[in-house]
Amino acid sequence: MTSKKEQKNKNAKRRGASQWAVAWRRFKRNRAAVVGLAIVLVVVFLAVFGRFFAPYPSRPDPGAFEPFYKGDVRVPPNSEYWFGTSGLGTDILSEVIHGAKYSLYVGVIVTVITIGIAILVGSTAGYFGGWVDNVLMRFTEVFLVFPALLFILVFVRIFTLTAQDPFLTIPLLNIRIPMGLTIVIFVLAIFSWAGNARMVRGEFLRLREREFVEAEKALGASQSRIIFRHILPNILSSIIVVASLTIAYAILIEAAVSFLGFGDPNTTTWGQILQENFADMRIVWWAAIFPGLAILFTVFGFNLLGDGLSDALNPRLRD
Amino acid sequence: MSAVSNVKGFFGNSMVKYVIKRLIYMLPVLIGISILTFITLHAAGDPLNIIRLGRPTVDQATLDAVAAYYGLDQPIPIQYLTWLSNILRGDFGNSLFGGIPVNLLIGNWFWETVKLMTISIVLAFIISIPIGVYSARKPYSKTDYAITSFSLFGVSMPTFWLGLILIIVFSFTLGWFPSEGSTGVIKVWWGHYVFDKIAHLVLPVAVLVYVSLAQNIRLIRANMLEVLRSDYILAARASGLSERKITYSYALRNAIAPTITFLGIALGAIIAGAPMTEYVFNWPGLGRTYVNATTRLDFPVVMGIVMIITVMALLANLIVDLIYVYLDPRVRIG
Repeated sequence: MTSKKEQKNKNAKRRGASQWAVAWRRFKRNRAAVVGLAIVLVVVFLAVFGRFFAPYPSRPDPGAFEPFYKGDVRVPPNSEYWFGTSGLGTDILSEVIHGAKYSLYVGVIVTVITIGIAILVGSTAGYFGGWVDNVLMRFTEVFLVFPALLFILVFVRIFTLTAQDPFLTIPLLNIRIPMGLTIVIFVLAIFSWAGNARMVRGEFLRLREREFVEAEKALGASQSRIIFRHILPNILSSIIVVASLTIAYAILIEAAVSFLGFGDPNTTTWGQILQENFADMRIVWWAAIFPGLAILFTVFGFNLLGDGLSDALNPRLRD
Repeated sequence: MSAVSNVKGFFGNSMVKYVIKRLIYMLPVLIGISILTFITLHAAGDPLNIIRLGRPTVDQATLDAVAAYYGLDQPIPIQYLTWLSNILRGDFGNSLFGGIPVNLLIGNWFWETVKLMTISIVLAFIISIPIGVYSARKPYSKTDYAITSFSLFGVSMPTFWLGLILIIVFSFTLGWFPSEGSTGVIKVWWGHYVFDKIAHLVLPVAVLVYVSLAQNIRLIRANMLEVLRSDYILAARASGLSERKITYSYALRNAIAPTITFLGIALGAIIAGAPMTEYVFNWPGLGRTYVNATTRLDFPVVMGIVMIITVMALLANLIVDLIYVYLDPRVRIG
């Protein structure tokens, strides 16, 4: 028995730790990165379980306006309303907690779509090169140069005007998907993939000349096999880093869009809370401070995590 | 190389060629953006219908004017060309609200935006250099950690929220600066109308500087670290030059060049971020006008401002690139 176990241990030793285990060890030593991960986990926890301990339910549930019916409008932070109440008579603490799930929804979906487009465009351009690369990169440049926020605003405005129902209900799971927010997400994604596509292309250009790709070509592997089985796994670490930073970026831009008054009025994202209280900010300063702190905290967390992942996964790139 | 020959070379033949090449290079990007801008009109079906949805009380005369300006009875490619030839002749159409020509609107608000942006960009650049250099000279020291985490903080901060906080603190609570506008209509701040304009600039400029400062510092620090590690710096140290001379006249010159290319992108971001700052401070510029026009779906104004801001961003990029070429002669030859 013991000899078998020893043998196993020896094997493990000889194989050494995997690439991911090494990265994890490096990650753990980086204090800033661990703080980032902790912040992200807190936000995820709030997003998943927030509804069970938030004092008031989220809108459009009429329970959200209970402070209003009690006559508690524009109450400064106190022991009952930790973050105060808004001019509409809603509890800011509850709204900040509910905002976590919307922010994560925006961040994650935007990132999934942008990374998808980026891989499609970047890998095609980088792998095939030549005129394909030229055309695709000019196309990408258009998206990189122009003022994205301006386009995002006008497209969000147009599409929310033509949207029919405020919510799409998934029957079995009983999840309500806010349509306005989903429109914002898709518009954001369509205008945010260019930088990531450039990164993927760069990595492909770097890797396609390497020996293992040559070897694979000599063995007669198909192009899709080379792209998806050999090059893509090698740039996975860069993609993970970029994904974390893209989540941060998406949350920031969504907050800006909502703050400017183009968001989904049925969902209390953090930007939306700021927008609703912008007009009487002179009085309800607490309604400006706390949702903003939530945005700052979350985005800071994802940025720290991204930087930490970058140091852990690509140690050579470290400055 | 003396400065004189540098300038001569800068305006020489190769430079003219370079500028022309860059201008030609801009053309497909401009066309692409104009197509995208045009698509906004048709993105959700019939534009007249969308205008009606956005503003149910719109009168038939306005709709007729829109149909005439865009040539809405023509096929879509013809419409695009009509619109393009219109804006190339400088005719951006009339606003759907009050029928004011868009040129006039843009002309009114353009300089306020340019003023705000230029001051912020220049200030941010000047301030970020010594901080970034200091951070790179003592990497991984306590000060460096403080500076890098401060700049990461800046990157994570929503621009508009910083504006809100500054207004709450310095305007509402302390009463030092005005909270909105570019000139005092009701009250003249600080006694004189010139001071009044400066007082109105302080908070929006502070926001824009802080936000771009963070990115600049990160870039300068990274580039400086790379340069300081190179061999010629080692050689300079070995020949006994003072640390100050090495940092500022050898390393910085080479570290700034790559920083400036990124400055172009940062510039674009600042210009495109105009709506946010201008909305928070109610600044009478293109950005605020854009937000209002988009809310009301005032298509001619929206499309006009998008084109103007895009051209501004592209030109800013070009200028930045020219500065880069001036600083780094290798690019000119290559």
